[in-house]
Amino acid sequence: MTNAGTLLVITLALPLAMLCACLSERLRNRMHLALALAPLPALAAACFEADGSTVVFPQVFGLTLGLDEPGAMLIGVAALLWVTAGAYAGNYLRDKPNSGAFAVWWLMTLTGNFGTFLAADLPGFYLFFTLASLSAYGLIAFDRTAEAKRAAAIYVGLAVLGEALLLMAFVLMAAGVPSGSLLIGDAVASLATSPWRDYAMAFLILAFGLKIGLFPFHVWMPLTYSAAPIAAAAVLSGSAVKVGVIGLIRFLPFDSAMPDWGGVLVIAGLFSAFYGVVIGITQANPKTVLAYSSVSQMGLLAAALGMGLSAGDSSAVLVAAFSASFHVLVKGGLFLAIGVVASTRRSVWLVLVPAAVLALGLGGLPLTGGALAKLAMKPVMGDGIVGLLATLSAIGSTLLMLHFLRRMWSGSEQTEIAEAPALVWPWLATALAAAVLPWMLFSSVTYDSLRSALAPAEIWEALWPVLLGALASLALWRWSRLLPRIPAGDLLAADKGLVHLASASGAAMEKIDEHLREWPVASALLLGLAIILSVSTLVGR
Amino acid sequence: MTPDATIFADVTSPDGYLLVLAVILPVIGILLTMAFGGQYVERIALVLLLAGLAVAIAILAAVLRNDQSLVYVVGNWRPPLGIALRADGVSAAMMMTIAVVICATGLYARGEFGQPDANVSTRGSYAFWILLLGIWSGLNAIAVGADLFNLYVALELLTFAAVPLVCLKGYQETIKAALRYMLFALVGSILYLLGTALIYGGYGTLDISLLAARVQPEPVAFIAAALMTTGLLAKTALFPLHLWLPPAHAGAPAPGSAILSALVVKGSFILIVRLWFDAMPSLLTFATAQLLATLGAGAILFGSVLALRQTRLKLLIAYSTIAQIGYLFFIFPLASGDSASTPWASIAWTGGWLQLFSHAFAKAAMFMAAGLVAEAVGHDQIPDLGGIGRALPVTVFAFGLAGLSLMGVPPSGGFVAKWMLLSATVMEGQWWWAVIMLVGGLLAGGYVFMVLGKALSTNGSLTLRVPIPRHRQVIVLAVALCAVLLGLMPLQPSGLLMIGRPEMHINVLE
Repeated sequence: MTNAGTLLVITLALPLAMLCACLSERLRNRMHLALALAPLPALAAACFEADGSTVVFPQVFGLTLGLDEPGAMLIGVAALLWVTAGAYAGNYLRDKPNSGAFAVWWLMTLTGNFGTFLAADLPGFYLFFTLASLSAYGLIAFDRTAEAKRAAAIYVGLAVLGEALLLMAFVLMAAGVPSGSLLIGDAVASLATSPWRDYAMAFLILAFGLKIGLFPFHVWMPLTYSAAPIAAAAVLSGSAVKVGVIGLIRFLPFDSAMPDWGGVLVIAGLFSAFYGVVIGITQANPKTVLAYSSVSQMGLLAAALGMGLSAGDSSAVLVAAFSASFHVLVKGGLFLAIGVVASTRRSVWLVLVPAAVLALGLGGLPLTGGALAKLAMKPVMGDGIVGLLATLSAIGSTLLMLHFLRRMWSGSEQTEIAEAPALVWPWLATALAAAVLPWMLFSSVTYDSLRSALAPAEIWEALWPVLLGALASLALWRWSRLLPRIPAGDLLAADKGLVHLASASGAAMEKIDEHLREWPVASALLLGLAIILSVSTLVGR
Repeated sequence: MTPDATIFADVTSPDGYLLVLAVILPVIGILLTMAFGGQYVERIALVLLLAGLAVAIAILAAVLRNDQSLVYVVGNWRPPLGIALRADGVSAAMMMTIAVVICATGLYARGEFGQPDANVSTRGSYAFWILLLGIWSGLNAIAVGADLFNLYVALELLTFAAVPLVCLKGYQETIKAALRYMLFALVGSILYLLGTALIYGGYGTLDISLLAARVQPEPVAFIAAALMTTGLLAKTALFPLHLWLPPAHAGAPAPGSAILSALVVKGSFILIVRLWFDAMPSLLTFATAQLLATLGAGAILFGSVLALRQTRLKLLIAYSTIAQIGYLFFIFPLASGDSASTPWASIAWTGGWLQLFSHAFAKAAMFMAAGLVAEAVGHDQIPDLGGIGRALPVTVFAFGLAGLSLMGVPPSGGFVAKWMLLSATVMEGQWWWAVIMLVGGLLAGGYVFMVLGKALSTNGSLTLRVPIPRHRQVIVLAVALCAVLLGLMPLQPSGLLMIGRPEMHINVLE
């Protein structure tokens, strides 16, 4: 192990050590107070170790850790969010009887989340990806309401499906590497010439598409984020989802143009971008609205990556990472804002004004990080129909965010989301980071200088979709009663038929099994099998 | 000229006596108990468990050190006149797995069949320890057997030690289950014996390596192979011949279920592999391999769906065993393909065996965990287990780890096995088995989370009838951790499992 990789190891070792400490019940019950400390090494690693240094553990199936530029950007902002959300959670858990369990699930999700940003080999990535996915189950189901249980069950079902798809993708990728190396870099490099290229691409896009909630795999998002406690929803929507983004960034071969697969991503992504807005504006719960906004934003990211893949343009990678980093802080921050608004009666303006700025940033409000993200994305999206649709989606995002602000405002008079009095500073810190960090990171992702971002033409170009969105939202206020009430998880409302089908086929198999386990049937099968087996040794001779 | 002489150059290796020890140590235990009386059975058994573990470690070390099979030729009479015991890499790894699972089960079983009062001998505990030793001897004999008749004897020893384990509690339904098991196993034995007789008539030997050279693709071999395999499939409870397994494995006392599910069904599976890959490699056609794996696929689908529909924890685990046995049979089409120079060098060979080892640990841990739960709350109805996670956290954690191995989630032996078998489907172009494996993983996720979700939910007032001592929970956790540790192996064909395998290539007909 080189000295250089020490921080990478500590990034994972600290939360793991805290998990070990949780074996003691006394420490477990106090662990919630220390949650904000667990991400600190990751923050340090993002600042000091983004030079691509790697650490290899040959004795643990060759686990390799490394940090490249997009990984460093994402893990850095993710760590910030985990710090603030951890502080928020520590306060939320103060008087909860089972705070220990929450802390355990939290630390496991955190370890998996950071691990995926660091993993440089296929099995390692899969290990952390799975850890992050499955541990989130405990966070979602934490409230034990019927709603939370249903959300957790649906979530875990789709998560396990995603893992199966990803496993197949990785096996196909590994099979295409002539040297037998399991490093991600080698696997991606040989993907273009692999005989299993198209199968591997299909499984990769399905697996990561499910994770980032591309239509029709988005159904778990609204349910999950609505049911989870605020702090958990913040890290899940902000940080855990980016596991899918880093997956697309790491595994798609951007060096070789693949117009077909790029096109698939663009279409699926843009469809989700608009679909999220359309369903989102019919929702009443601000947490659900934010979830649909995530569907929309992740769709846009997927479309950008798809454009990069089509053109073989690897600059899309950094742009996507930059844009995703902004989303980490905004989405995480807005969830914390919901919690603060719901529990704070006084100084609501302290929440609403920054929240409005952040939220409109998703629509590209000038001078926000969102405007920078859109500016960086512009060359990737191009001037054609995709670029136009991306601009139009900014109108949708603005509309959806104004709807969110209104729902959050009226939610402050309701008590349905109210949790214990929330800490205000984690929210403000996240908002501050979301406002400042994009300006610091911007010059590292594009050749444009910051000055160009401040040019009047650019400002106007970012402003008009926001203004149109604001107009549209006035119309929405006026005629919102006309909109249908679509239940959270939209398509899932149609799952009754599927559930029925599944249970009917299960019952049928149970019946068949009963027959197979009768003596006469089993004896006949025994004889039949002997005959078929002896015939089978003749076949093909 | 006889080709046999050149192929067969077995002489007893320096450490060959270890193989004899592995088989007869448990038998010595049984004899000692009879000599000293039942009240000492637990102590004698525990001493022998440790000795047996040491022998298994020594065998594994010797095989690794010499990089070749360990052989013992009984009485220096060479086959075909005499009989030989042989431990290749697979046997050594198998015996190690057997030893660890049996020792852990033995320690765990002290809570149930222990003899706190040294002067009293109870029928249940006396029988349990004797049967445990009998099963161990039978399994080791199968692992080192190099001759089909020897293997038959070992298989019978195994069956007759396993059947009474099912009905140790003496309830009527367990006796019924045991009878079912015994009858079906007997039919299996008869078929196997019939096949053995045909082989002996046709080729004049039952020694496996001699047979490999002599057996030709001709009717007597076809029929013998089919009969023996069918008999062994019945004992392995491969779908659709699984009628006896759910009631037997769910009805036995927990340590018994652990041994039956983790080890006993694998005994006959090892024999099937020996038969097709070692004794009669020239008979294995593409169609036969596909047929065996098709039955495996049926097992995975039916076993997993049926597991999802159980309300009793032990029945759920039993059906999961049926499903997990199915994966083992993918070794036939995937290891006999032509992407590797020999079947043993293929990734599927390692994957298949790893599936066997990791399932042994995972399933033993699951049944033991289920046993602790049943002891603590007095039943194993899944819908009423809400809150058990808070009451028995270590046990539920162990159950979860084992479940993750069954699902193929890393880090676990189940994951490595699945990765390897999936890789093999890609290399061999047999994608259909990959579909089954992925669906099987999803269904396994379903039944594992069905239990865990219930266990971790807090509503429902759960009171423990009896407290469960911490050390018993730790034993279960240790066994589950063995399944996890297997997951640290590198994802490539294992050298150990290639030791002592013949240098030939099976030409599968397509």
